[in-house]
Amino acid sequence: MNIFKVFAFVVACCLFSSCFQEEALNAEADITQAWVHSENMESTFFSATDTVVNVLYTDSNVVFNARHSADITAMSPYFKITEGATIEPANGSMHDFSNGAVRYTVTSEDGMWHRNYNVSFNKITKTVGDTINYDFENYELNPSSQKYYVWHDELGGGNFGNNWANGNEGFAITAGGTAAANYPTAPLANGYKGAGLCLTTCSTGALGALVKKPIAAGNMFLGSFNVQNALGDALTATLFGIPFDKKPIKVTGYYKYTPGKNYTDLNGNTVTGKTDAADIYAVLYRNQDDKGKAVVLDGTNIKTSPLIAGLAEMPVVKPTTEWTKFEITFIYSSDIDPDILNNRGYSFTVVFSSSIDGALFSGAIGSQLLIDNVQIISSEVQE
Amino acid sequence: MMTKKIILLSVIIMMIALPSQGEDFFEDISLSARVGYSIGGTAPIIMPASIRKLNSFDLQQNITLGLDAHKRFDGKWGAILGLYLDDKGMRTDAQVKNYHTSIERDGSEISGMFTGDVLAHTRQWMINVPILATYSISSKVDLLGGAYLAYVFSRTFNGYVHDGYMRVGDPTGARIDFGHNIGERGEYNFSKDMRRFQYGLKVGADWHFSRLLGAYADISWGLNGIAQSKFKTIEQTLYPIYGTVGLTYKLK
Repeated sequence: MNIFKVFAFVVACCLFSSCFQEEALNAEADITQAWVHSENMESTFFSATDTVVNVLYTDSNVVFNARHSADITAMSPYFKITEGATIEPANGSMHDFSNGAVRYTVTSEDGMWHRNYNVSFNKITKTVGDTINYDFENYELNPSSQKYYVWHDELGGGNFGNNWANGNEGFAITAGGTAAANYPTAPLANGYKGAGLCLTTCSTGALGALVKKPIAAGNMFLGSFNVQNALGDALTATLFGIPFDKKPIKVTGYYKYTPGKNYTDLNGNTVTGKTDAADIYAVLYRNQDDKGKAVVLDGTNIKTSPLIAGLAEMPVVKPTTEWTKFEITFIYSSDIDPDILNNRGYSFTVVFSSSIDGALFSGAIGSQLLIDNVQIISSEVQE
Repeated sequence: MMTKKIILLSVIIMMIALPSQGEDFFEDISLSARVGYSIGGTAPIIMPASIRKLNSFDLQQNITLGLDAHKRFDGKWGAILGLYLDDKGMRTDAQVKNYHTSIERDGSEISGMFTGDVLAHTRQWMINVPILATYSISSKVDLLGGAYLAYVFSRTFNGYVHDGYMRVGDPTGARIDFGHNIGERGEYNFSKDMRRFQYGLKVGADWHFSRLLGAYADISWGLNGIAQSKFKTIEQTLYPIYGTVGLTYKLK
């Protein structure tokens, strides 16, 4: 019976815990948070919340926003990195950031994987003039994957920013070989003037249906997109708003809209008699709560948060095949504190979506919203 | 030349000898039916470090129905030729770290390194033909050992990743989080990547405790993995390893 016993033991061993191996060392090499301690906090930053930067897993740039007059020649940033990983140059080491970004390399605990990060201090210039134009002329294929388009906004002085975000990165997870031009958010070669935006509600295919996200609306907003939550808690993937130092009065622009034919719900089932609608709105909100903690509104609370100071919304985006001017005016529910505004204590977003319930994965495939020549018209706040 | 002659001679001798011995040969073959219940799973021979812990292991309705023809030779030795219908299933939930897998449906897939929990469900219905040598250690107990060949006619291998995250491509890729409930987790289905033919080793023991009834226990160990060799999504080869206990009934 010996062989039987040996056999039984080996089988039991392999099926149960006795032969689990030692845990392998971590293979990840991420910076998840960066912060600085500054003795001249007041003169370097607008707010204490600007001393901490939460870094998304897809980011490779870590940007601290600093005052224009800040001395950034001797800054010592600290980083929260994957457990066991190492960072070079050393955590907390002092560098001169006045000549541009400093490159850091994180190496995983197992030594097999590296990630490079460019850490910089962005000296904020005050918004000049009362009108900001967004014409969507500057776009390119996403440099790392080349799968979809990304947009850059002109910051003045020949500099470009990454303030416009959309859900393309989430769509890419399920998109397979979809051409960049057929993503939900794509450039429109012939817009109202020059290039424009083409936002289309698309099917996410069988994979999307698996995670109960059968459609993806084309969207564009000021803020950032956290792809980490795109398949799970998707409403929190859209991080709305950029710090803003003006009081917006209205947002104008040009649009065309054609709703898709077949409105479907979260399960992909047709909802008869329902027509899709586009969504155009803008929000100004306080980006710190009463405990001084930084706040970024997302899909769960962008229209409902008590921190919202003003909201401008287009009640109905009437379908039209001609370029049609839209104008939405801010209605303020609370007074704007000029001091807080000057110190970038408010965040501002404009949101365009080809399906109003797109965040809930309901809408009609084929709904198309074209956008161009967006203007943000603000007023100086009298002190 | 020599070899050919020997073969020819052997065949002639057999042709003369077999008919005269034929009735005897089949006379002492006993036929029995068996019904059993299997516990086991498909597992790598050596657990990779990426599999951390077994969260759960659910018993499945793994029924075996079989017919055996047992020929006893002189002395203690004999041979069994069987025809079994096996249902081998497994449902496990395992905790993994940096485990290569993919989530796939209708041709589109996301693959990468997953850290979190993986639920795996396999079920294989197969026709199994064991060829076993037997050795009687007493008048009531036979030891069995040999090989089996199986044809899998119904293949299922699916499940989902949950409560964790995938790094798309490699550990530096985008991190996608997965939750617990339907809609938040990532489902996979590798059924069509499973093999049709399996073979392996089988050892066991039969205990004839009464004239007609008996009990048995055996272990079958697959020697080829359950997935086709071109299937690379899961790095480790998974072998079916099942233990079965049951009853035998002597038909003849």
